[in-house]
Amino acid sequence: MSNMLEIKDLHVKVEDKEILKGVNLTIPKGETHAIMGRNGSGKSTLSYVMAGKEGYEVTKGEILLDGENILELEPNERAVKGLFLAFQYPIEIPGVATMTFLKAAMNAQRKARGEEELLTPDFMREVKSAAKMLEIDSAMLKRALNVGFSGGEKKRAEILQMALLKPKMCVFDETDSGLDIDALKIVSQGVNALRDANRSMLIITHYQRLLNYIVPDVVHVFSNGRIVKSGDKSLALELEEHGYAQYDESI
Amino acid sequence: MIGKLNQSEQVLLETLQKTGADELAADFAKTGLPTRRNEAYHYSDLKMLLGDVPDLTTGAISTSVPLLNIEGAYRILIVNGEVQISDEPPTGVIVSTSRGGVVEPENDIVAQLNSALTKETLNIDLQGTVETIIHIDRRYEGEASHINDGVELYILDGSNATIIESFSGSNEAHLSNSASKVILGRDAKVTHIMVDLSGGRVRHLQSVQYEINESALLHSLIIHKGSALARTQLFAKFIGENAHADFAGLILGAKEQHSDISINIEHNVANTTSSENYKSVVLDKAKAIFQGKILVARDAQKTDAAMKHQGLMLSDDAQILVKPELEIYADDVICGHGATCGQIDMDSLFYLMSRGIEKEQAKSMLIRAFLAELFDEIKIEALKEALISVADEWLEV
Ligand SMILES: Nc1ncnc2c1ncn2[C@@H]1O[C@H](COP(=O)(O)OP(=O)(O)OP(=O)(O)O)[C@@H](O)[C@H]1O
Ligand SMILES: [Mg+2]
Repeated sequence: MSNMLEIKDLHVKVEDKEILKGVNLTIPKGETHAIMGRNGSGKSTLSYVMAGKEGYEVTKGEILLDGENILELEPNERAVKGLFLAFQYPIEIPGVATMTFLKAAMNAQRKARGEEELLTPDFMREVKSAAKMLEIDSAMLKRALNVGFSGGEKKRAEILQMALLKPKMCVFDETDSGLDIDALKIVSQGVNALRDANRSMLIITHYQRLLNYIVPDVVHVFSNGRIVKSGDKSLALELEEHGYAQYDESI
Repeated sequence: MIGKLNQSEQVLLETLQKTGADELAADFAKTGLPTRRNEAYHYSDLKMLLGDVPDLTTGAISTSVPLLNIEGAYRILIVNGEVQISDEPPTGVIVSTSRGGVVEPENDIVAQLNSALTKETLNIDLQGTVETIIHIDRRYEGEASHINDGVELYILDGSNATIIESFSGSNEAHLSNSASKVILGRDAKVTHIMVDLSGGRVRHLQSVQYEINESALLHSLIIHKGSALARTQLFAKFIGENAHADFAGLILGAKEQHSDISINIEHNVANTTSSENYKSVVLDKAKAIFQGKILVARDAQKTDAAMKHQGLMLSDDAQILVKPELEIYADDVICGHGATCGQIDMDSLFYLMSRGIEKEQAKSMLIRAFLAELFDEIKIEALKEALISVADEWLEV
């Protein structure tokens, strides 16, 4: 199986309103794709449906991860199969310590693979080295999960989680928004460090700038609940110049 | 009037008569147990809820293993109302017993019953900085029986102490009625924790009184976990200026448990402050009740009191009932209350699960997070851990 992700004719309703209207998307193993599109066109909805959030009714179509239909799986089951979503708006959870959360997540994935729980020193070492790569202050990791993190810190924390969980299919929902130029470079380096032949990525963004750092193999234009055009990275430049208006007639 | 008493009340009346508590018996014959018409018992109509009253206990018998172990604590047992002191108390701790029960707060029939039917009271005076945690292990053992017991704690001027009382025993349908009275001297600093870990058939009634003198500092925590029916009523009186108290509590309710914490805080003098921070987590068909009454007397200027109750409902059949009540006679005070009630936050649950954490574990993490604030206030590590494990055990059921 050479495709990591196959989304076939995906239709999704939210509260009786059709948001996704026939999404088709195939990402081969090792490739990085980008999705660009207007506000409200359904990009986050697509990412939530992939991750298995409740409240979305799939009326048609399927999502295959590494050849397996995941639509019936719980979010945690999808995660342990290697799907990871970096949230557009990471959730603050007061009372859950960041480190406790990271350890629970890592151990959940190990358990699913039939491995022993991580020993604390090994866990600490892994977290420290990943935090160092992303220039995350250790004081931040002592706080409750995402609580009091700045917008940029939250995005970095998402990438930290990804670096620790080593998923095979990574979805980034506007990970670049809220990042300053330096942070953008650091996060991009973090993401690029994880690119390899067995890992695929889907980057949702509004800005061509991110794609200068994380260069995609394919760029898709998303409009009104589906992909209306695909091309190479030059498509992102063209969009930056001409906007989305030319794709609107397809509505 | 006797004709109106139900079966449980009849037995209680006869018990009072046999004990020679004639005056109270005469009153009880007229009033019986409190009903919903009594404001304080509005959601806990004891006439309806109490059920069979077993025979009065015949005294101590061998005890089951302790449900709560606190490392390094000095433990005193009260078994079926009998005080058992085995170890030499630590320095600064004077332990004795006195005949009869704790002097009850005014006009409460449950406390009056306890006071009349308690044979001996455990008295502990605490002097100086008592580092050792005092653990009063109150047991209701053997066949189902009706047990009354009492504890009076006196923390002398300038002294510091940490006391935990646990309520547990055999898994029979006991009726336990317990009283605790805590007097904080000037400048006393006290942490006082009460944990009900009784078996699931027990009816547990509890009256707690605090007298808070000048510049004293109190941290009070009540945890309800075990009994089928649990009701703790708390009466606190600020009687010296510049004192502060944090009142906290937690109801963990499951199955068909009925659990009620009703507090009455009186700011009677100027310049005292308090916080009231209570939480309830309920599942199955459990019912949690919090009634919070704060009274600020005419002369109690500069009182600052902030009360809140937060509820977490884990099933559609569970109930949380909250009644705050502020009675303020002074004009220069800050006094407020708030209540929230919600379910597990679905976005938080999804976030945790999206990282691979199983639903049940993710839920536990969020419930623990909800409770964390109550335990974080406890500064003694051994105690904090013991209480967290009480909550953890509940979460695992
Ligand atoms: N829970 C919901 N209930 C009702 N409508 C919803 C819900 N979630 C999303 N929508 C609607 O679905 C549409 C797509 O939203 P979505 O968040 O997927 O857009 P997006 O492409 O990610 O936009 P942005 O670029 O602003 O992040 C919007 O019109 C939004 O209002
Ligand atoms: Mg979005």
